Amino acid sequence: MHRRLLGFAVVLVAVVSLMTAEASGQAASAATSKANAPSAARWRTPWGDPDLQGSWSNATTTPLQRPARYGDRKFLTPEEVKEIDRQTDIGTDQRPANAVRDVADAYNRFWWDRGYSDGRTSLIVDPENGRIPAMTAEGQKRLAALRAFEGQTTEFGTDGGGKADSWEDRSLYERCIIRAPLPRVSTGYDNNYQIVQSPGYVAILQEQMHETRIVPLDARPHLDGSVRQWLGDSRGHWEGSTLVVETTNFTDQASFEGSSQNMRLVERWTRVADDRIDYQFTVEDPSTWTRPWTAAVAWHPVGPLFEYACHEGNYGLYGILEGGRQKDKEAAEATRKESSK
Amino acid sequence: MRTKFTLIVAGVTLLLLATAAPVLAHHSFAAEFDANKPVKLRGTVTRVEWINPHTWIHIDVKDANGTATEWMIEGGTPNTLLRRGIDRNSLPAGTEVVVDGYRAKSGLNRANGRDLTLADGRKLFMGSSGTGAPSDGSDSGK
Repeated sequence: MHRRLLGFAVVLVAVVSLMTAEASGQAASAATSKANAPSAARWRTPWGDPDLQGSWSNATTTPLQRPARYGDRKFLTPEEVKEIDRQTDIGTDQRPANAVRDVADAYNRFWWDRGYSDGRTSLIVDPENGRIPAMTAEGQKRLAALRAFEGQTTEFGTDGGGKADSWEDRSLYERCIIRAPLPRVSTGYDNNYQIVQSPGYVAILQEQMHETRIVPLDARPHLDGSVRQWLGDSRGHWEGSTLVVETTNFTDQASFEGSSQNMRLVERWTRVADDRIDYQFTVEDPSTWTRPWTAAVAWHPVGPLFEYACHEGNYGLYGILEGGRQKDKEAAEATRKESSK
Repeated sequence: MRTKFTLIVAGVTLLLLATAAPVLAHHSFAAEFDANKPVKLRGTVTRVEWINPHTWIHIDVKDANGTATEWMIEGGTPNTLLRRGIDRNSLPAGTEVVVDGYRAKSGLNRANGRDLTLADGRKLFMGSSGTGAPSDGSDSGK
């Protein structure tokens, strides 16, 4: 318990310092780097780069966007954190009374790995209201299409609907292509990343979907604009002890919260303790959002990553397509009955 | 003070219950399994496919005449099960289990293994241990 409260206090301090740096721009960032400098020197690679290496988890139940009920409030009270975490623990054992919800939850939640609240009401630190900024008409259209593709949203989450006539009707995740577009935020499980460095490169292995981002640090230009990739094209550099990675060249076949292929993503990793990296991302896409926005989340050490070879036995996709055929059969039967009346 | 605290807790709980949407698993279970077809199967494990993205447990279910039918039961992802102390040897062939789940929409002999109970009453996929946080060093998953 004491550990939890202490952790909460640490998060508060770190988050406040993050937001201060955000609000006052470069000057504050430089000041923060300087303040970090003596301790940051502890985490150096043999060739002198800041050392971010290790296996890390970004699991947290803190949502990306601030739920409306919190209004302008950035932080939860210790009582609220305790209660949210208690609900997370209960969720492991509790069986929903509603069968639809029970199925949507995918078994009991024994094997889930959602982490806990970090004491904040949202991961988004800019804008101040903790919400994704207003979308352009084009962005709204794209997001609506994305949601329609995923299926209808019910009180139990998406109904898993959408079309199931072909594998191409199904999500990139179900098809084992990518877990989610960048930037990655915490999900139900396997929220794990391994960072490996060598002179001139940083490699970031994502447990799901078992892909590695290899980021050159030599200021080479981005790939030609005609080359589009699931995880875009990343270029990195050091700003003090912070790794800054800029990613462009995204594809129009994957969208983060409605983003277009022209999104520019800037991510920052700063080692702040033996057991903590502060991770922050800013997304900028004028055709989608009326302004850039930023979210921050702590990465904590995690045990070894395991190979998530998604294509190994993706029977689920067969099951979904078979489910779709069953639906067709039932619809045809209903039509037959109707016409024979 | 006590009342105020209780009220806050009750309020938070209500809000959570009202708004907590399930986080999605690798694929849509709602598209694959039928909430209207709950099943309870008593059978013997024949083999375990310890594969990504989800494990599959094969069991033989005998009817009243002793005729065995094979069922395939979908389980959690190997990565997270490992972190909970379960591996490919946790369910050797011959293990008697009771599976509680939902049948595939297709009507085939497949189900999601919501709960899996061993002969001695232990539930394999149920019950958090330690803090419930995986790999936090204090959780052996046992």
